[in-house]
Amino acid sequence: MPVNQAALPTDILEQRSHRDARHERLFRWLLKGCALIVLAALLGAAGATLWGGREAFSTFGWHFLVSSAWDPGNDVYGALVPVYGTIATSFIALLIAVPVSFGIAVYLSEVAPAWLRTPVASAIELLAGIPSIIYGMWGLFVFAPFFANHIKPWLTSNLGNKPDDGKLSWVAEHVPFVGKLFGSDYPFGASILVAGIVLAIMIIPFISSVMREVFQTVPTRLKESAYALGSSTWEVSWDIVLPYTRSAVIGGVFLGLGRALGETMAVTFVLGNAMQLSASLLDPGTSIASTIANQFSEASGLQKSSLMALAFLLFVVTFIVLLIARLMLRQLARKEGH
Amino acid sequence: MSSPYLRRRITNALAMVLSTLATLVGLAFLAWILWETLRQGISALDLKLFTKITAYGEDGGLANAMVGSLIINFIGIAIATPIGVLAGTWLAEYADRTKLGESIRFLNDILLSAPSIVMGLFVYTIIVLPTTVLTHGSTTFSGFAGGVALALIALPVIVRTTDEMLRLVPSTLREAALSLGVPQWKLTLQILIRAARSGIITGVLLALARISGETAPLLFTAFGNNYMAINPIEKMSSLPQIIYQYANDPGDSMHALAWAGAFVITMFVLLLSLASRLILSRTKVSHD
Amino acid sequence: MTDSALATNPASAVATSAVAPKLTVRDLHFYYNGFHALKGINMDIPEKKVTAIIGPSGCGKSTLLRIFNRIYAIYPKLEAKGEVVLDGDNVLDPGYSMNRLRSKVGMVFQKPVPFPMTIFENVAYGIRHHEKLSKSDMEARVERALRSAALWDEVKDKLKQNALGLSGGQQQRLCIARAIALKPEVLLLDEPTSALDPIATGRIEQLVEELKSEFTIVIVTHNMQQAARCSDLTAFMYLGELIEFDQTEKIFTKPGKKQTEDYITGRFG
Repeated sequence: MPVNQAALPTDILEQRSHRDARHERLFRWLLKGCALIVLAALLGAAGATLWGGREAFSTFGWHFLVSSAWDPGNDVYGALVPVYGTIATSFIALLIAVPVSFGIAVYLSEVAPAWLRTPVASAIELLAGIPSIIYGMWGLFVFAPFFANHIKPWLTSNLGNKPDDGKLSWVAEHVPFVGKLFGSDYPFGASILVAGIVLAIMIIPFISSVMREVFQTVPTRLKESAYALGSSTWEVSWDIVLPYTRSAVIGGVFLGLGRALGETMAVTFVLGNAMQLSASLLDPGTSIASTIANQFSEASGLQKSSLMALAFLLFVVTFIVLLIARLMLRQLARKEGH
Repeated sequence: MSSPYLRRRITNALAMVLSTLATLVGLAFLAWILWETLRQGISALDLKLFTKITAYGEDGGLANAMVGSLIINFIGIAIATPIGVLAGTWLAEYADRTKLGESIRFLNDILLSAPSIVMGLFVYTIIVLPTTVLTHGSTTFSGFAGGVALALIALPVIVRTTDEMLRLVPSTLREAALSLGVPQWKLTLQILIRAARSGIITGVLLALARISGETAPLLFTAFGNNYMAINPIEKMSSLPQIIYQYANDPGDSMHALAWAGAFVITMFVLLLSLASRLILSRTKVSHD
Repeated sequence: MTDSALATNPASAVATSAVAPKLTVRDLHFYYNGFHALKGINMDIPEKKVTAIIGPSGCGKSTLLRIFNRIYAIYPKLEAKGEVVLDGDNVLDPGYSMNRLRSKVGMVFQKPVPFPMTIFENVAYGIRHHEKLSKSDMEARVERALRSAALWDEVKDKLKQNALGLSGGQQQRLCIARAIALKPEVLLLDEPTSALDPIATGRIEQLVEELKSEFTIVIVTHNMQQAARCSDLTAFMYLGELIEFDQTEKIFTKPGKKQTEDYITGRFG
């Protein structure tokens, strides 16, 4: 009998194998159960809001989507005003954030000296970590008054109507729509435009860090060969880097859009909480999320159900937007061969 | 000089200037927001913030909100961490490259940016409404419900970092343990999670940073409470909720309190993200 | 313990030695993603000898080793056909439990992979899964394994320290201690010195020499001198086939096949 021979009879080993297999199965089920909670959270959020909104949906039907009424006195509700506010603020946010983010990403991946890239990128990412309520407060107490005092007068008198005598500006007289967009008699800063700007500042770090990351996936040899042909930095960025990463860049933009659509606190403070449909971007409005935040606690009956229905709409729309974003982002990952 | 050449150079110079400008604008706004938070926050700092409760209004402090925030965040992290770590482990170790695994990884990324206010309404529906009915209205909103709502927001962050960190663990470690006859569940719990520990802790810190500023999901779950509440089945105040309430108040002294709260939250979040960066950079060094 | 009445092995392609085979490979084929990586391997690995497997990279030598303890089975889309008989039982049989197989067959890998725990725990970890030992028995067992791996004197004062703090060579000896602490019968070494410096390599080779009185050792190496220095038998593999398997001395002095000779003399490729 060799000295090192394991003194373990086979039947004990087999018994333990059965026990191990049983534990293994239990463990797998536990893990899988936890993973399914992610699925349950998404389905549950959709289900709960749909269930909560069933009364509104059955009372108003499709009319709920196109009605601009929001009248707790007569118990009539429609989604149009908050939906418009949500889309308008998000659209403005993208209009500002996309080019700025692209500029930041180009700067950080092509222009900036190497030693500056990491600190600047970290600083921008710091911006992404600031809670949205801080953006909201800054918007309410700092930016909205600044806007009302310094930017708004210029915008209205040059693009809209003069606030003192209501006379139309040159642009408003000669270019269609612009006068309506920038005309306002409302004296405060809180408005669709300010909410859009605050949202833009909030989503810039998201979009720019996605763009920077995907720009870094462009093979160096591709860029080097373009530089070797005499291309300028801008031409490399625009003709090589952007086409190579196009789907992921669009994905990053949609990711920012998803954030903007669902954001509550950054916009609620600066939107003015007005249930009105106004063509002017300088007038106050409301969004889905801020309507819910402002009204849900005190609502009951059909109003509460309508707010739930709004939440359902918001959830479905952001889900679709984020789905597109992730699909687009995945295309580049595929190209990378992951 | 030929004109297309000149045009290209001008375009390039313009683009370079604009991209630099874009970065400067981004940094300027960061500086502006941080500066205002620091300035207004520090000038409103006062010992009574930490000793007095919000029931005293403008003569009060934020003590109950701070305690509430700590309790609600703790509940959120305590729920989300085990579930998130196990779910992330499943994605990385058991379901990598399977259909269900890929789908859940994908959906988790969506949950990561889902509107937090809807998560609040979800928890309102599954916890606040049932408890209201079951207790005949004696318990309605609660700190616990707030914690659950925050857990749903922290969950995808933890799932994702755990998944990513475990996939960085070299497969040789798995082989070494399996070659000793150790079953996979033991290997996973005792070796892999330990090997990825610092990465997973980073994920938990990031999740904490993310939820500690969340306001919207607390409005209809924890609701708020002007008095000190320790028991999580009671309504509970939190810093973000008090900031929201006070910032909407017309009184200037209330605004000062809101800024003080904003300052506390911002410092907390910045410290957390700094700490998580430090942990992560230190791990990288020790792995080389 | 199973009765190890040894199966005679008429199919064996190469006559090796008079010692009874510990591990018998019969008509072993291996496929990954449809690629035919091992093509009908037959060999008898004798007990308490050092058997080296050499060959150019990609020849399948590591793959063969990884079949012996079924570690390949943790990856999907891999398939082994044929038999690997250990003491009369086919270890590739799904009914052959992992606990049984891995308590009998230990493995040491290319790169040292200490677990993220203390030096003591690294060795005790595997034992704990298989046996319930008292504290003093465990300490004795760990000490013996560390002594066998020629590591005891270097670590006896820092057993409570993290194993990641050891040098590469020490880490690899710790991995050997971890493997032999389970008292396996067969020890598989997969290029155990490829990540180590010459001094550490020398110590591991010396250790292999000492360990063969207790274990049947199979070592895969890309280093021909290493095979010549520390093995009793050498197998030469090429393109998924076992070309030649014989006494090490014979392989290195008068190989039977032209391909072996070309490889040994460095005229390959």
